[in-house]
Amino acid sequence: MALHSEILSKEGRASALRSRGTFRRILERNAAGYIFLLPWLLGFFGLTLGPALASLYLSFTNYDLLQSPDWVGAANYVRILSDDPKFGAAMRVTFTYVVLSVPLKLAFALAVAMAFNRGIKGLTLYRAIFYLPSLLGSSVAIAVLWRQLFASDGLVNMALWQIFGFEGPSWISNPDYALYTLVLLSVWQFGSPMIIFLAGLRQIPTDMYEAAEMDGAGKARQFFKITLPLLTPVIFFNAVIQTIEAFKAFTPAFIISEGTGGPINSTLFYTLYLYQEAFGFFRMGYASALAWILVIIISLFTAFSFLGARYWVHYDE
Amino acid sequence: MPMMLDRRSVLCGGLSALSLAALNAPALAQATRLRMIWWGSQERADRTNKAIAAFKTAKPDITIAGEFAGWSDYWPRLATQVAGRNAPDIIQMDYRYIFEYARRGALAPLDDYLGKGLTIDDFGKPNIESGRIDGKLFGINLGVNSSVVLYDKAAWEKTGVTPPSMGQTWEEFAENTIAFGKKKPKPGYFATADASGLEPSFENYLRQNNKALFSADGQLGYEPADVAAWFKMWQDIRKSGGCVPADVQALDQQNIESNALTTGKAATAFAHSNQFVGYQALNKSKLSLTAYPRVGKSSPSGHYLKPSMLMSVSATSTNPKGAVDFINFLVAKPEGVDLLGVERGVPASTAMRDQLTTKLDDVSKAMVEYIAAITPEVGPLPINPPQGAGELAFVLTRVSQEVAFGRITPEEGGERMVTEAKRTLARK
Amino acid sequence: MSDATRDILTPPKVQRSPLVSVLLHTALIICSFGMLYPILWMISGSFRPQEELFGTSSLIPSALDLGGYFRGWTGLQVTFGRFFWNSLVISVLATIGNVVGCSLAAFAFSRLRFGGRKFWFALMLGTLMLPYHVVLIPQYILFLHLGWVNTPLPLIVPKYLATDAFFIFLMVQFFRGIPKELDEAAVMDGCSPFRIYWKIMLPLSLPVLATAAIFSFIWTWDDFFGPLIYLSDIDTYTVQLGLRSFVDSTGSSDWTALFAMSNLSLIPVFLFFLFFQRLLIEGIATTGMKR
Repeated sequence: MALHSEILSKEGRASALRSRGTFRRILERNAAGYIFLLPWLLGFFGLTLGPALASLYLSFTNYDLLQSPDWVGAANYVRILSDDPKFGAAMRVTFTYVVLSVPLKLAFALAVAMAFNRGIKGLTLYRAIFYLPSLLGSSVAIAVLWRQLFASDGLVNMALWQIFGFEGPSWISNPDYALYTLVLLSVWQFGSPMIIFLAGLRQIPTDMYEAAEMDGAGKARQFFKITLPLLTPVIFFNAVIQTIEAFKAFTPAFIISEGTGGPINSTLFYTLYLYQEAFGFFRMGYASALAWILVIIISLFTAFSFLGARYWVHYDE
Repeated sequence: MPMMLDRRSVLCGGLSALSLAALNAPALAQATRLRMIWWGSQERADRTNKAIAAFKTAKPDITIAGEFAGWSDYWPRLATQVAGRNAPDIIQMDYRYIFEYARRGALAPLDDYLGKGLTIDDFGKPNIESGRIDGKLFGINLGVNSSVVLYDKAAWEKTGVTPPSMGQTWEEFAENTIAFGKKKPKPGYFATADASGLEPSFENYLRQNNKALFSADGQLGYEPADVAAWFKMWQDIRKSGGCVPADVQALDQQNIESNALTTGKAATAFAHSNQFVGYQALNKSKLSLTAYPRVGKSSPSGHYLKPSMLMSVSATSTNPKGAVDFINFLVAKPEGVDLLGVERGVPASTAMRDQLTTKLDDVSKAMVEYIAAITPEVGPLPINPPQGAGELAFVLTRVSQEVAFGRITPEEGGERMVTEAKRTLARK
Repeated sequence: MSDATRDILTPPKVQRSPLVSVLLHTALIICSFGMLYPILWMISGSFRPQEELFGTSSLIPSALDLGGYFRGWTGLQVTFGRFFWNSLVISVLATIGNVVGCSLAAFAFSRLRFGGRKFWFALMLGTLMLPYHVVLIPQYILFLHLGWVNTPLPLIVPKYLATDAFFIFLMVQFFRGIPKELDEAAVMDGCSPFRIYWKIMLPLSLPVLATAAIFSFIWTWDDFFGPLIYLSDIDTYTVQLGLRSFVDSTGSSDWTALFAMSNLSLIPVFLFFLFFQRLLIEGIATTGMKR
């Protein structure tokens, strides 16, 4: 009975405020929330926090994986920020990737999801086909395929030659273009945000559209007045998640450049650099410092996203 | 024995009680059960597992549990296990990584077993020495290996140009590639891959000039001018259409499947002799092997015999004796040697090699013959590289690409290479 | 007014004109080819002799060779069926864990009021940000001391403890879209939070639960780094580890077998996707919520 007031509703909040006071009340106010949160709390304290703190500690040490770590204070951070040209290169690559791939991928995913949300014959089939690239994930086969598509004599250049008579470079191994082939790969694997958008569209009650039609609202108006506002929580989710994922992007560059980040560091993603330092050159302490700098950058981005969200994300609350 | 990552720092998340209870379980592996780890694919796994089974018959009291992964998966897996103090007893090592592992105390020195369980006298001094790091024996040579030039003989002959051959000079080689380029059978096909960014090739070139990657005191063994000359030589070949252009060479991830020879963009590749079988499997046309071109007719060949891979014993193994017994079985007992074949490289033991050669197919035989052919002129093993040397191979590749893409001149490339190499070695 | 704009502006009940349908389908089919090309290429690769794989980019193999499938299935010490079974067990258990664990946490974050909610939520998001590679070794040591290394437990148990913040955040966003009036009415009727979670939230969130199930299954199935670190005995290998065993970039490889088994390995995930995407659609039918 006492737990009923924990439901996060206007009335619930009011009644909770009225009944505030005794220790028992405090306990009851929080009990339901913490009971539901218990698995997560166990996972967080049992599995996630320890390793995270360990990596934070290691970021202040020289740790070569094989011997015990030596405390070096902030030396790793100082070196990263003042004396590491590869850090700058990795930053440039990663920011370019984030700025290009996230909006493109989201726009594509939303457009396809919208198209799929209208009654089209063979919808199930199309949806499955469009999800296929994402099913492939990061398989070795994709790496081989992508290299062949964008190599000097690849399918892309053959098409360019046939259609425009244009002799293209080896896109994937040219430092000026290599990163863009990876952006394309990321956009091509747009299946996950597409499915999330679809699920979001599905959750918009159909009677709202019916009511709008009664009022004589056209499709465009319905889109801007109903679909878009009700979809904002999902758009927000996809934007935040894709940004975080893009900052942490590792696999595409790893499989396609075999972990080198080449040519000339043009695909040296931040986490790829971190991985090289950790496992290639036995500098796990340095890699941990790199990781925590990335955490700070991503947190700032996410915090600003959440602050900005107040102005455009609509929750039914 | 090295102290590993402090347990407290890991367990501060609150699981200490739980984990303390389980603490001793994994560490106390039974002495009669040994774990072995190697990199490789299916065929190597089949051969190794057969050898493990044969060893079990010979020594029923020792069971060996094998695990394997491809090259790029292998190193993070091994590093994680060693860092977690869960290292396998028997570890396949690479000539680059063995320095990292041995110097950090992850491997057990095996000198005490020489003659006592380890019967490798007939390896010859160089092949034993190649497993010695800073004076101690940390690895047993699993296969003799050297740099090699692989080429598609038919493609060369079709153009009427002399293919690479033993004793050819770099000058002749360059002229030939350019002649090949003028008569090439199809557009986008070149005489050779571009070796300017490959460290083994650069090392070979340095040795021909009586220099080395590293000096005895752990410093660089070359000057900016040496690198510049190397880059310049390749620049000239590239500009006259003798080798693949920069963006095609950059497709090469320094593995077999992305090499310009395999992808049908060049008729010649620079590789290691133990990869010959792997290269042949992915190439339609028949491949041949030969030694590197030389800077002059009378210059050293630049080649040396290095281990294709080594077998090491973990410093934390509870039964190093058993581990050594198994390694000895693999390299010095006909039964084990036959099962492994030359898949890991040509056996170092002359007796073993002789009895094995008669049982080989043509591709494997060509590899053994190549090693025999270059052996008279091989030089001594290079000096042990200083710590951090592994990173320089990546630096060389990057700087060579900057030159190849025309961003800097070969001279600037030489300066940059030396500056960055010194910076890297000075670190830590 | 062009056909296209009329189509946007006409009410949905009205049929599209045939021309628009044809155009739409043409566009979709062209795009589909772009999506399907890699699969076609992988299928063609699985039948071709491997010395042909890297030299050409044509789709048609010179010969049809089924050897890759035989070598692939039986080539390693255990058959590929074993890897399929292992992957299936891990993926199914992980999927259940993710859906259960994350929906509980998401319900707490989106619908319940308790002290420190925003703090925990921020921490939860924070766990998304740390690159995996730097926690790998501490985590390995943790699981080693728990005696879980070389068992699938490190790949399964964490999911039940909702360690994958992606799914919590996803579900939070969807739960917040479900009208409050529903649980307020339920509170009036004397429902406990658990009943509200079970009887209102879950049934109304089928689309997002199906989404979470699809992603969990596919991502677990496709994951190779976790299995690489935690599973060393070949009997416990997953499909992805099995696939990678065919290839060693420094030595001999069997690429044809890799492609053959890659194709087979797509079948279970594809079926799973087909099944759950129906759930995603049916979700609306049962939702039918009135505001």
